[in-house]
Formats: sequence, structure tokens, C-alpha cells
Amino acid sequence: MASVDLRGLTKRFGSLAVVDNVSLKIDHGQLVCLLGPSGCGKTTTLRLIAGFLEPSDGEIHVGERLVSSRARTLPPEQRNMSMIFQSYALWPHMTVTENIVYGLRLRKLDRDTIAKKLAAILATTKLEVLAQRYPGELSGGQQQRVALARALIVEPETLLLDEPLSNLDANLREEMRFEIRRLHDEYRYTTVYVTHDQSEAMTTADLIAVMNGGRVDQIGTPEDIYARPESEFVARFIGASNVIKGTARDANHVTFAGATLKVVGAPLTPGQGAVVAIRQHDIGLSTQAPASTENAIKAVVTRQVYLGAARDYMVEVADGTSLRATTPTETNVPRGSEVWLTLPPERCRALSR
Amino acid sequence: MTTVTTADTPKRRLDLTRPVLWLFAAFMIVLIVLPLSWLVVFAFTDKARRPTLQNFVTLFTDPAFLDPLMTTAIIATTSATICCLVAAPIGWLVSRTDMPGRQIIRALVTASFVTPPFLGAVAWELLAAPNSGMLNQLYRYLTGAEDPLFDIYSLTGLIFVISCYTFPFVFVLVANALDNMPGELEDASAILGGKAWTTARRVTIPLALPALVAGALIAFLQAMTLFGSPAILALPAGFHTMTTKIWSLFQYPPKLELAAAAAVPLLLLTILLLQGQKFLLGRRGFSVVGGKYGAPRPIEMGGWRWAALAFCLLVLLNPVFLPYFALLNAAFSPNATTLVTPSTATLHNVVFVFTELSSTQLALKNTVILGASTATVGTILALVVAYVTTRRVIASHRLLGFLATAPVAVPGIVLGVGLFLSYTRPPFVLYGTLWILLLAFLTINLPSAYQQLQAAFATIHPELEDASRILGATRLQALRQITAPLLRTGVIATWCFIFIGVMRELSAAIVLFTSQTKVLSVLIYDLNESGDLAAIAVLGIAMLVITFTVVLAVNRIPMFGGGAGARLRNS
Repeated sequence: MASVDLRGLTKRFGSLAVVDNVSLKIDHGQLVCLLGPSGCGKTTTLRLIAGFLEPSDGEIHVGERLVSSRARTLPPEQRNMSMIFQSYALWPHMTVTENIVYGLRLRKLDRDTIAKKLAAILATTKLEVLAQRYPGELSGGQQQRVALARALIVEPETLLLDEPLSNLDANLREEMRFEIRRLHDEYRYTTVYVTHDQSEAMTTADLIAVMNGGRVDQIGTPEDIYARPESEFVARFIGASNVIKGTARDANHVTFAGATLKVVGAPLTPGQGAVVAIRQHDIGLSTQAPASTENAIKAVVTRQVYLGAARDYMVEVADGTSLRATTPTETNVPRGSEVWLTLPPERCRALSR
Repeated sequence: MTTVTTADTPKRRLDLTRPVLWLFAAFMIVLIVLPLSWLVVFAFTDKARRPTLQNFVTLFTDPAFLDPLMTTAIIATTSATICCLVAAPIGWLVSRTDMPGRQIIRALVTASFVTPPFLGAVAWELLAAPNSGMLNQLYRYLTGAEDPLFDIYSLTGLIFVISCYTFPFVFVLVANALDNMPGELEDASAILGGKAWTTARRVTIPLALPALVAGALIAFLQAMTLFGSPAILALPAGFHTMTTKIWSLFQYPPKLELAAAAAVPLLLLTILLLQGQKFLLGRRGFSVVGGKYGAPRPIEMGGWRWAALAFCLLVLLNPVFLPYFALLNAAFSPNATTLVTPSTATLHNVVFVFTELSSTQLALKNTVILGASTATVGTILALVVAYVTTRRVIASHRLLGFLATAPVAVPGIVLGVGLFLSYTRPPFVLYGTLWILLLAFLTINLPSAYQQLQAAFATIHPELEDASRILGATRLQALRQITAPLLRTGVIATWCFIFIGVMRELSAAIVLFTSQTKVLSVLIYDLNESGDLAAIAVLGIAMLVITFTVVLAVNRIPMFGGGAGARLRNS
């Protein structure tokens, strides 16, 4: 059983902590996404797990083994891991077959076993006809599949993926996303997947760790992260959220732009500033005053864009804050009109950070 | 997909990487630091090894030392300028235009590059010595004049000959930069309304400028540290350059302290130049290599194509056609500077050199042994150092990189002295053996070999090695199975480069040889002293034949894979 356990992992380059006290426990067979903007330390974390870098502090355990610590770092080749690189890193001087069986040859398997495994993985990744080609003769999607096959054939305990889809076009990316998840389910290794694309993370991961500035901001299932963000950063980074800054009236009421909003989420301290997130498509927009004034705010439309499936509004409330709202196409209000916004209390999430 | 049993984890191996690397580091330190330390010790001490600055006082007050210093400065500056003025247009024509015969011009420049400068100098003696020179004979015959047209034994003559065999350095750098420059960069300028000349002025030239400046610098250093050409052309004319002056200080009675001190200005100037280049180019950090760009569109020259070709051929007359004609003529003529005719053609010179001249066999053998072993050891050494510095394997990678580049600042003759001082005393008594020459040639060729391989390494994405390691390869396995094959072309080029470098090396060998360790270049220098130009011509041709044979052979070794190039081009 190979769980991956990061304990207080820190990596400093000079005085800059690129990875800052990251703790994360990944159970065997789980697929975890490290999600965050570029420069948040996610790739460095991955390279620490792989053993290409030595931690400045903290430890990495794989199963029962301590593989990285300040004192000793097991070299990558002794970790029984596989990795898929952003550039794919296919060796241009070897054919597809030579690339794929490389890891098996290092393990000194006999010829028959290698042939059997090769045939199986070529079938799984639909690469049979390309087996004798050189990487330079393949398309991006085919190269990506070779990289997958090469990483999977050694049956690693842990698979690491570093932005594996960022070099593919949109259609292929979607297809490969499900392919990666399918192969993960088939082999049940522990997977760490680094990406900056939140929809990629949502569709593939069991668990998402959102990283920001070298730290893990929030860990949770895709639903947790999307529906129950805990910090302003996560709310903004995952999907389209409005972030409202008001004042707490009591534990679950916030005064904002002359209105009072009932909110859920983190308990509030009366009198203190409060940050509330609400998604664009959760905001109701109407020219009529709503029946109840609860969680209703008056606003003026400053921009309206027709998106085909919906309309995208930019509105301004009394204190000058701009909010975005997505409505059905039937709700057609011209610029400059006064509207009423309804913010359902169960969708207004008070953020703890 | 069938379920398969868990693959065995790779066998645990002892990671020998670090010890091996430290061994290389130690070797490098001995190789470079030891001779340089002895040099510094000698420069700042007197005969009794007491600290003194008297050597420098003598150096900077005695006109016998100041004049060579000035002469060297003039030679280096003018040669570098001439090289740039000649090489830049040729590089541009060959790389960017539709001039006919571009490949032939490249080959001819390579031919002048592999020509040892001292051989070129001897060839120009045959051509333009004031009395016997063939061009002067022709001039007199045509005009009836008394005075010679050229006198190669002069400052101008020396600068001319040095430039002939230094401009390929600039050419190679400029042509490579232009070859690699993405065509889109020029197209982007054109689409924004830039006319051909505007594009050249605002985009192409600024992008090629780093290469040109680097080329000028190398040309300057080359001209400054050359020994053979000045020894052959300046000494008869009665003046000295720094290198010949240093050499003369080793003649009886030797003044080693002064020689070491005389090397210091050269050393400092070189370091200063290298820093200046860094300062000028460092901030821009633009690299024209990388990314998937289209090939540049050649510029159509219309009627000017043939004029351009004529210009190139006219320039190449001087380093290639005329000297080789003179050498071939001398080799088969009873009199070196008489035009050979079918009736006077003779094999006497060839027979003399290979049967009667006692040192030929030995020198040939020594040269080939040294060339092959230096090239092999040097390539391996440069490979390891380049790997360590580009991949930052150990903490002291900067130091290793510095050590590998440092010999660039040390003129061959000065290094020769340093080695002489280091290896004539215990614990390493190597003087009189081929080992000391091996060390000298290794040190001299290391900087360029290192730089070539470092550039080659930079083109290989580090993830290619990472991918191999995560699949279970040790660092050395990854190096052997992934990096080495990808570096093939660069490695072969570097090997050949060093081999050629050894063939043409004279300045260190002249200090270090003994009768049993004579090499071809020293033999040729000796023959020049005794005026035996016909024998030089034969040996020079033999030398070139060996060079070409070896280079061709190395490119065909199956281990280096003839088909590899085609495969790599696909990626």
C-alpha cells in the first residue's frame, strides 16, 4: 500500500520559500490534484515528491518508507514512481516501443514478459500501429499517449503528472482527461496531478488541494472546493465568484451596501469586516422588486453581454461595488436600468480567510 | 488489459555519481590550478623565490618589453576588426541569401579553419617573401619593377596572415546565429511594413550582434595569443610580439620569472575582455534558439548573386587557394618557389621527408597518438563538466565551469611554461614524456570543448533525463542511455575540434617538447628555421590528409550511428 504523506514540507531557494510548510496525506489509490496559479509551488511540490529536489524542511513518506527529509533524500530511481512531464520528455532517439519498454529493461525483466506487457499497454493506449515510429513523427495527442504508456507500463506505486494536458488542443484535452481517470481507475495507483486548470481538476480528482503562495489553501473534494470555498483566494480561483466585503451584524448576517444579507459558512464576529462569496449564476436579477426584501439589493446595470446560452451582467450597487450575474437569456435588461438582485442566503458563503 | 504482477523494483545500486564527479573536479583543479599557481609564484618572486615586484618594474620600463606589448595590441585589434569586416558579410551571404555555391563557401571556410596558422604563414612566405615570393616574382615579371609588391615579413603582412586564419572563428559564430534565427522574426518586421533593409537593420543585425561581438572577442584573443605566425614572420622582420618575447625568455639563459610576469598583462586583458562581453550582452538575454519556428526565407539578390559569390571567392583566395597552391607547388618542385611544370615535377621532397628525415616517423606517430588521446580525454572531461554546470549537479558547479573556461585566458606558451614549472619536479615528473604534452593540449582545448558541449546540453530538455530517472535509471545510466545518444552530433564535433586543435598547436609544444616527444608542428617550425620549405610543404599536406582522414573516420564509427542524425532531425 503506497499512500503519500507530506509532513510540513518546505523548499526554499535562497530566502524564498517556494513550498511553505505543506502537509497533505494522500491515501493509496486516490487521485489528488494540486491546483493553483503559476508560481504557487505546485510543480516544485511534485518534484519534491519525485525526488528531483531535496526538501529544506519537512518529510515525505511513501507507504511505510521515509523517502525525503532534510537529512536524506532517496534518489528518484529508487522510489518506484512514474511521472508524466509537461513536455512529455519522449526520447527522440528511441522509437515508441523503445520509449515504452525502457523502464522494464531497467528492471531486467525477461524478453517474453516485456513483450506481453508491451502488447497490453499498446492496446490500452491504442498505439499498436505507431509502435515503430519515432516521437518526432507523432502528433501531440499521440505523444501524450506514449508518455502515458511509458509511465504506466512499469506499474508504479505512485504516478505523478505535471500539467500533462497543457500542450494539447481543447478537444483532445477533454478526451485525455477522461482517459487519465479511466487508466487510474483501472490500475488504482496513487496519483498526484498538477494543473492550473480548475475544470481539469474537477473532472479528474478525488481530492483537490488548492495552492497559493507555496501553501495549501484548502483541501477537499471537487464539490467541497466549488460549493464551499473557505478563502477568498479559493472562491475567486475556482469558478466565477463575486466576493463581497461588508460588516458582520451578528454570527450570520452581513451589512452590505445598505442591505442586510443572511449568510452561511464560517461564523462571524459582530462588528468585524466580513467577506462573502456568491457565484454569478446564483444571483437572481429582476426589474421588479421581490416579494421579500430579505437578501435583496438594488443595483444599476453597467454592462450586458449576450453569451448564447445565457446573459452576462455587470451591475453596480449603492456603495460602488461591481457584481457579475449570469441569467437566462429571457432576462433582457438594457444598460442603465435599475434592477433588484436576490442573493439566496444558502448561496452566500462567509469566508474564514 | 490483463492484470499483471507488480514489476520488480529496480535493484539498488550504489550511487557512484558524486564520487565520480568529485574525482573529475579534483582532476580539473590539478590540471588548471597547478600550472597557474606556479606561474603566479614565478611572476611575483625572484630567482631565490623571494617575493618581489621587480619583474613587473622591468616589464613596464624596458622598451624591449613595452614595444612587443604595443605591437600585440595593434595586431589583435586590427586582426579582430578585419575578421569581423570579412566574416560578417560572408556569414550573412551564406546563411541568408540565395547566393550560388553557399555550401562550397562553407566548406572552403572550414578548410581555412583547419589549416594550422603556422602552415599558412609558411605558405605565405612562399608567396610573398620580398625576393623569392612567387607573387612578387610574378609582379616583377609583369611590371619590370625592382621592388617587391608585398613584404610578408612586416607588421602588415603578419596582421594579414593572422586574419586569414582567424576569421573562420567569427564566421562560424555569425553564420550559426543567422542559421538559427527564426524566420518569423524577420517576417513580423516585414508585415509591419519594414522594408528589407529596415528589417536587416532593426531586427537581423541586432539579433546577430551578440554572435558578432563574441566572434570579435575570440578573434582578438586568438590574434593576441598566437605564437606560430609571429615567430615565423615577425622575428625575421626584427620585431617581437608578446608571445615571441615570452618564448625568447626561455632561450638560454632562461628568465622564467620575467616570462611569467610578461604573461600577466595578457591574462588580465583577457579576463577584462570576457567581463566586458558579459556586461554588454548579459542584460539582453535574448536567445534566438528554441521554439518551433519556420526556416527563414532567403533574401533574393537577383543579379548581385554572382557578384557576391565572386566576393567570397576573392576573399578565400587568401587563406585557401593561394597558400594551398603554393604548398602543393613546393612539395613537388625541385625549388620551393619555382613554378612546377610536368617536366620538373619531382617526388624528391616526399622521399626525403619520409625516408631521409629522421624525425618524421616519430613526429607523425606522436601527433596521431596525442591527437586521438587528447580528443578522447578532453571530450569526456568537457562532457562531464558541461553536464555538471548545466544541470547544477553539485554545489560547486560554478567553480568547475570557471575552471574549464579559465585556460582561455592563458596563452599556450604561458601554459607551456606553467606546465614546465609544475612537471619537472616531484611528485609529478612528466617532462620528457608525452604525458606533459597531453596535459598541455588538454588544457588548451578544454574551454572551447566545454563551451560547445555546454551549448549542446542546453538544447536537451532536462525532463528527458528526469523521465529516465523516475523510471528507475541511476544518474549515470540516464547519462549513458538518454543524454549521450542525444549529444552524439555535439560530441563528434567536439572530438574533431580537439583533434584539429592538437594538430595545429605549436605554442605550448615549443616549450615542452624533447627530442623524443617532437610533434609535427614543432618539426615544421624547426624546418622553417633551417629554411627547408619544401619539406614543410610535404609535411603540411600530410598533416591535412591525416586530419581529414581522422575526421571522416570518426563520423563513420557505427557507435556514433550514421543514421542518428536523420532520426534526431525528426524531433
